Amino acid sequence: MLTNILAISLGAILTNNFIFSQFLGICPFLGCSSKVDTATGMGLAVVFVMGLASAICWVIYTYILVPLGLAFLNTLAFILVIASLVQFVEMFLKKSVPSLYSALGIYLPLITTNCAVLGVVLLNVQNNYNFIESVVYGVTGGLGFMLAIVLFASVRERIQFSDYPECFEGFPICLVSAGLVALAFMGFSGMKIF
Amino acid sequence: MNIKKQFREGLITNNPVLVQQIGMCATMAITTTLFNGVGMGLSVLIILTCCNVVVSAIRKIIPDEIRLAIFVVVIAGFVTIVDLLLQAFIPALSAALGVFIPLIVVNCIIIGRAEAFCQKNTVSASFFDGIFQGLGYTCVLICMCVFRELIGSGRFGGGLIDIANGFRFTLDGTGGGIQLFPSEYGASIMNLPFGGFITLGLLIALMQYALKKGEKKRALAERAAAEAEANKEDESC
Amino acid sequence: MNGESKKILKLTFILFLICAVTAGVLGVVNEVTKDRIYMQKNAKTIEAYSAVLASERYEELTFDKDAFPTVDVVSKASNGEGWVVQTTFSGAQGSITMVAGVDNDYKCTGISIIEHSETSGLGANAASTAEVGVNFRAQFIGQGEDIALAGAGGSIEALTGATITSEAVTKATATSIAVVKSLG
Repeated sequence: MLTNILAISLGAILTNNFIFSQFLGICPFLGCSSKVDTATGMGLAVVFVMGLASAICWVIYTYILVPLGLAFLNTLAFILVIASLVQFVEMFLKKSVPSLYSALGIYLPLITTNCAVLGVVLLNVQNNYNFIESVVYGVTGGLGFMLAIVLFASVRERIQFSDYPECFEGFPICLVSAGLVALAFMGFSGMKIF
Repeated sequence: MNIKKQFREGLITNNPVLVQQIGMCATMAITTTLFNGVGMGLSVLIILTCCNVVVSAIRKIIPDEIRLAIFVVVIAGFVTIVDLLLQAFIPALSAALGVFIPLIVVNCIIIGRAEAFCQKNTVSASFFDGIFQGLGYTCVLICMCVFRELIGSGRFGGGLIDIANGFRFTLDGTGGGIQLFPSEYGASIMNLPFGGFITLGLLIALMQYALKKGEKKRALAERAAAEAEANKEDESC
Repeated sequence: MNGESKKILKLTFILFLICAVTAGVLGVVNEVTKDRIYMQKNAKTIEAYSAVLASERYEELTFDKDAFPTVDVVSKASNGEGWVVQTTFSGAQGSITMVAGVDNDYKCTGISIIEHSETSGLGANAASTAEVGVNFRAQFIGQGEDIALAGAGGSIEALTGATITSEAVTKATATSIAVVKSLG
């Protein structure tokens, strides 16, 4: 059990990183990575929401959808759960933890359309994870996302001062540098725990 | 809104991936064989067109406060329908695209078009918008697939074209494609995430170059026209 | 009831209505496609079973699930030629479901991959019908429980750029033979 959880965590953070190996969550990854501060905020918000969403969606899938024979409605159910969860978390943080809200608040609405969040709950179902495995996969997947976005933000802060062809302005140069970071992450692919 | 202008917008000047720069996750993830690219592109085209039509049809009766929630429900509905149909009739495609079919729900292209276009336009305009934006998306996917497959494994049309027993199209993803050079000589790194990032980066850079060049040309032409006008005025003085 | 809560009720009702309509439509589509999806999934499994060890029927046997957690099903071929073992294990990208045939001398009679999510062009070659995939799978025929990759002292040549996938498949084949042996 423990090795299994360790294997899932290591896979989600490094070998099967959501951004660099599975291409989940590219939009916020490119949109929010121009500064290390914003990247950290976005990363934390994603860890939080992905962990919560994994837990809640697992319960809904296993105890509501499957017993009723409605497993085919999972995409619809999950996206509604995620959207309302994000709204709820936003309201909760605003009222009870204002300091955390001021740090994460503006990133929360963006998370609904982050495909890493919907992706992680769908993968939990696809891989037949149990409750603990799902939550671990959600949280560590979020950590992997955070690692990727913070690392890449510091790369991007340096791109600003470098000289590249004019037509690479904006997204193209980011994509090319992201490709190089992905190349570095490939080095982890030989790693495994059994 | 005329159809010709919409066609140009969807494919070139307002291309969803290359110009609006949205919907990139799937664009990079699944473009490893032509079969996947064409399958994904057509799925998005169908879902986008259906959603556009429905959203513009109900645009007058939905309250503004909950319009996003309604869009998401409609989109998720169509995505699930396409997902189920693929599982039933083209299982190979459904297996190859995996989680990226249900993830079309959060593909910004669809919700973006619903919000930006269909809310304000008629059903027929939205229908054509869906088709042309979907075509624009499919074209980008096909470009990426062809490039990555060729460099990565020296092949064209993997999964879709079978030449082993005469030229034919295979819908079950078993076609071996046309081998242009032995796959050992291919740079298999293009099949990996790195290849996805680099190819899309180059493609967007190329698009920006072309658009900028077009703009410069137009600016030059305008200046020449203005100068000619000024000269004429000078002469008339 | 004041105007505000009336409005909220109205919004909730509209949203609920749209959800209900969508769910209804999906229910119909599901009803129509359900049997076909089931058939498609089964067809793949049956095809894989007869590809590794042809037999008319397969009888499911009980085995020690705790000792072999990756094994899903062990079946005995009704013609007495051997067993077919279905395993699910993790590859490089996600889980792989595979069947392996085992004959009466505890040698592998072939493998067939039912489901996987490996990298296209690399790990996915293990399941492909192209020459590279066919050659890769052919190596497993006749192998015993000591099966291993060429790099680890065995004779299975790993797929180019897909050592993890190849190793996982090799290991699953060894497990399949081991679970049959444990049954005696």
